[in-house]
Amino acid sequence: MLSKSQARWFFVGGTIFFFAIFLFLTVDTMREIPMRQNSAALTDSAIRGKHLWDTSNCMGCHTILGEGAYYAPELTQVVERRGKEWIRIFLRDPEAMFPGQRKMQQYDFTEEQITDVIAFLEWIGGIDTNGFPPEPDLRPASMPAVATTAGPTPDYFGTVCIACHSVAGTGGTVGPVLDGVGLRMTRAELDRWLADPQAVKPGTAMPNLALPDSTRNELVTWLVSLR
Amino acid sequence: MKFKSQRVAYLFFATSLLLFSLQIVFGFIMGFAHMGYDVLHEWIPFHAARASHLNLLVVWLLSGFMGAAYYIIPAEADREIWSEKLAIVQWAALVIVGVIAIAGFHVGWWEGRKFLEIPRPLDYLVVVDVLLFVFNVGMTAWNGKRFTTTGMVLLLGLVAAALLYLPGMITFDSQVIDSYFRWWVVHLWVEGVWELIMGGILAFLLIELTGVDREVIEKWLYVIVGFTFLSGILGTGHHYYYIGTPEYWLWIGGIFSALEPLAFLGMALYAVTMARRGGMNHPNRIALFWTVGCGVMSFVGAGFLGFAHTLPQVNLWTHGTIITAMHGHMAFWGAYAMLVLAMISYAMPQMTGRKLYGGWIPEWAFWISNVGMLGMTGAFAVAGIGQVYMERRIGMDFLVVQDAVSVHFGGVVLAACLLTLGILMFIWNFVQYGLPSDEAVTGP
Repeated sequence: MLSKSQARWFFVGGTIFFFAIFLFLTVDTMREIPMRQNSAALTDSAIRGKHLWDTSNCMGCHTILGEGAYYAPELTQVVERRGKEWIRIFLRDPEAMFPGQRKMQQYDFTEEQITDVIAFLEWIGGIDTNGFPPEPDLRPASMPAVATTAGPTPDYFGTVCIACHSVAGTGGTVGPVLDGVGLRMTRAELDRWLADPQAVKPGTAMPNLALPDSTRNELVTWLVSLR
Repeated sequence: MKFKSQRVAYLFFATSLLLFSLQIVFGFIMGFAHMGYDVLHEWIPFHAARASHLNLLVVWLLSGFMGAAYYIIPAEADREIWSEKLAIVQWAALVIVGVIAIAGFHVGWWEGRKFLEIPRPLDYLVVVDVLLFVFNVGMTAWNGKRFTTTGMVLLLGLVAAALLYLPGMITFDSQVIDSYFRWWVVHLWVEGVWELIMGGILAFLLIELTGVDREVIEKWLYVIVGFTFLSGILGTGHHYYYIGTPEYWLWIGGIFSALEPLAFLGMALYAVTMARRGGMNHPNRIALFWTVGCGVMSFVGAGFLGFAHTLPQVNLWTHGTIITAMHGHMAFWGAYAMLVLAMISYAMPQMTGRKLYGGWIPEWAFWISNVGMLGMTGAFAVAGIGQVYMERRIGMDFLVVQDAVSVHFGGVVLAACLLTLGILMFIWNFVQYGLPSDEAVTGP
């Protein structure tokens, strides 16, 4: 039968042995991390972004690399998923994007600070995470796109508008479905609406996206062709 | 109690229970927010409630451990506390730092590093405070009449916990390295040196409550804490699967964290076996309930539910979901909350000389709070499994999924009401005991 001193040796010996291995692996991990962590993108801007990430306690609601709280979305791949433009508009006014839904703090970041946060998120997105977050493996095969007479979807629509609006069954449910919007609204109406939604319909949840003229023209041209 | 100065533990126990109550309040705020009623968003946004909930937990458990140490170390060393005055100063400092930290969270003075949200300037105060504490109990043990395994394991756990706070205070530019060393604190605390503290306190309680021979209890104490470190140190690897650390952590973390439940199974068997061997006839039955309950529930929460999502194949899908909250609640409750409540239940009659452990209130407090926590864990589990399938495997939108599982947070809140009722009954019993009395001092 085990004696007390044997038990003590099991504890002391085991602890020293496994802690030594742990220290060795830590040294090796520190050597490997620079190769795996997308170091080229870890710019001064990204480091300032990390500082904002910490001091705003973003981890108090979001997860990043799967760590944090479970109240708001996982952000490891957010730049790939949403695009930089979407994130910029969102950070200017979080409630404009998902009116009436779960709220995020309004941080009143400056444009430079938003650039830094995006640089941080972009850096995170390039880290080799051993496959996290995984691709959904039970996702239903995507529905064939509904044939429309419209030309190719503008990039801006595909990254920003689609968060709230859907076309051909793809997109968000916050704003109205835009299939056939070209039958309901004229080019002039759409143009006025996109330039300043509040002026057309005070109190609307649609944010003023402050689009450059070229982007607005491209969107309007495409939207009127949705018939 | 043997020595007059052991009464200082009362201050720490009372603080513990007060902060625990406050922790529950913040828990309700978050539960309601998850149901869609974030009515306090303007004043206490989710991340402020969350930081408060976690840090109140850490502080009330530490306060409980300190109280336990001020009670146990003199008993084991067979002398008064080295300086009772210093203990009171150190208690006051802990309370002041705690109040500043929690108030600071509400005006955005924090770091977004889960469990370590306290900003750096306050970190230094925490270190000073813990050093004072370790110095005081260390001097007590050093000048003691005897050195027992129980006392030494407890002391070793406390010193190691203080040392392991330091890696969390280094600043890194890289999120990956920052996270790597954050887990040195958080993991090596709760699945490492805190288990030494747990083992030490359990051993003390079992020696006092069962009458089983000290040599037998302390021998198995070594075996259990031996298993803790055998599995727990490299088990840190289960936090290094998906944060940008090398691939070998997948199998190292997988293998060793799969062994972690053994240490908790050991704690459970240890408590149950010793209690049975002692014949369960100590008059303070309720302290024995909490002691044995702690061993068993720590296995359920930390051991079994931890194992449920610790393998990398499973964790790939569950990492960063409500599943983690499911395991976290039960683990902290079973291993550490129940441990502190066991210590309080044991020490109060000893310190006050009143024997108020016989009535229905303390007994129902035990059962109601445990049923409440089991209910919460079940509700978290259903919400978490739903989230994993809908969001991670089918790829549905985050907010759509959150809306779908919000109904289960109704379950969490209902079960939390039961837990709250149980804890209020426990506190009621605690208040009934009154203050420590000099008449209760039995002398060495």
